[in-house]
Amino acid sequence: MKGYVWAVGATAACTLAGIAMRGRFDLVNIAMIYLLAVVIVALRYRRGPAIVTSMLCVAVFDLLFVPPQGRFTVDDVQYLLTFAIMLAVGLIISTLTESLRRQASAQARLEMQAETERMRSALLASISHDLRTPLAVMSGASSSLAERGERLSPAERQALAQSVFEQAREMSEQVSKVLQMTRLESGRLELERDWGSLGEIAGSVLRGLADRLATHRVIVELPEDLPLVRVDAGLIEQVLANLLENAARHTPPGTVVRLRAKLEGGEVVVSVEDFGPGLPEADVERLFDKFQHGVSEGSKGGVGLGLSTARAIVRLHGGRAWGEQLPGGGIAFRFALPLEEQPRLPAEAAA
Amino acid sequence: MTTILVVEDEPEIRRFLRSSLGAEGYRVVESPNARRGAIDAGTHKPDLAIVDLALPDFDGRELIRQIRQWSPMPIVVLSARHQERSKIEALDAGADDYITKPFGVGELLARVRVALRHAARSPSGTLLKLGAATVDLEKRRASRDGAEVHLTPIEFRLLACLASHLGMVVTQRQLLTEVWGPSHAAQTHYLRIYMKQLRDKLEADPVQPRYLLTETGVGYRLLADEDSP
Repeated sequence: MKGYVWAVGATAACTLAGIAMRGRFDLVNIAMIYLLAVVIVALRYRRGPAIVTSMLCVAVFDLLFVPPQGRFTVDDVQYLLTFAIMLAVGLIISTLTESLRRQASAQARLEMQAETERMRSALLASISHDLRTPLAVMSGASSSLAERGERLSPAERQALAQSVFEQAREMSEQVSKVLQMTRLESGRLELERDWGSLGEIAGSVLRGLADRLATHRVIVELPEDLPLVRVDAGLIEQVLANLLENAARHTPPGTVVRLRAKLEGGEVVVSVEDFGPGLPEADVERLFDKFQHGVSEGSKGGVGLGLSTARAIVRLHGGRAWGEQLPGGGIAFRFALPLEEQPRLPAEAAA
Repeated sequence: MTTILVVEDEPEIRRFLRSSLGAEGYRVVESPNARRGAIDAGTHKPDLAIVDLALPDFDGRELIRQIRQWSPMPIVVLSARHQERSKIEALDAGADDYITKPFGVGELLARVRVALRHAARSPSGTLLKLGAATVDLEKRRASRDGAEVHLTPIEFRLLACLASHLGMVVTQRQLLTEVWGPSHAAQTHYLRIYMKQLRDKLEADPVQPRYLLTETGVGYRLLADEDSP
């Protein structure tokens, strides 16, 4: 629609210019002005507006400038040629522009496909690397139970069954992380924001992760008067879970994992600090890349999505997530969420 | 003998439910889809139904609505992760509790036991033992380590609402509607603030509560020590 408005506008502008030039310039030069209009419209818009501009220009040029003026009669054959050329130029340029546009969008599609392909192969490599071990454990342990069960002691049977259960849980966690990341990347994930309490979310995470965190000493330091935040509580719970799990996975058993929160300039900053070996600052940032594992930790498991997922979720909330080297060794992973004006609670009459 | 109806389309999951529920002495009736489930619920009159939310013919929530039209039998829902909304819809449609796949058998049996006990018990008789704290909902008195604890009327109402579904999840909407009234059903911050107050008064560690639990994005669950009535 905009193209057609331009077609009319360009023709009108050329006509004004042509009228100003009349008498001092040849008709051919005025025709050139109209040709310019056709070229501009053809470059900017599709074929339709270009054709309309050519036709309008030819009609107006004929009507106003070519003798006899005021009538659609052409005395001189050479102006017929002018019209034909104008139409041809319009068509050629709009066709060229359109094919260029098509090529550009095809190129962009190809690049996106290449990126998706790259992601997919990284994902496959990661899956084959990180999910094969639990699968091998599960098929080995379960086949022992199924085929040789009667020769095993009850304690051995119990241990095998337990390891199948644990590995399956672990795999399910990883698969659900991959799914969640895919959902985040597709942009199809809509935040279901609601007033949430970070203390409550932390409590729920710690209960859910009790088994995995049992190897570490978890210290929780949350201020009494932590304000409420407007968040998708389920997703923020996942951020916290990923950070805590990450800390427990990559630091020696028995060390401290500390969960803290504080208010800082209109934001609430939540930190998960570990007291493991730490990493150089530059490598800490790299941990937020997808499928990125710390140095030589092949056997630690996990598909390397925890931190990148956490960051994607925090960013969706308008916040930031980053890692910091701690002075005494160890790493702090932090995220900041913007604070909003607190909702009001009607006062309750004293009992 | 207690009969449990399992409505689940995956045969392998049915097999595992059949053997683990069977080993606990329950009689198990299996339905592979919602249509069959609706019929089996009518003919077998089970004491409890376990319903998968993703069924091939029609939605598990619809089946729950149908069952609720004629029966108060406890219904426990099986759902996938990251689907808070469908859990809430199932609970609001009349389900009593949910369990997220993948789950261990211990978790499942605990849910089933709580739901069966809830169905068998009359909702009155309300002395709650929450560790060092005790709450008498009838006399509206609470104490902790022998010392009296002051609870406001709203705090009592909130506790009473959770206690009437002891051990089971109660959605935020249910709580807000029952305690503050239907016009406040969306004021979820009331719950955040009052639950914190209750935990501060009754829990030994309010950040890591043992009794007043959060089901993030869904609602709350009150547990009590086993010897509670």
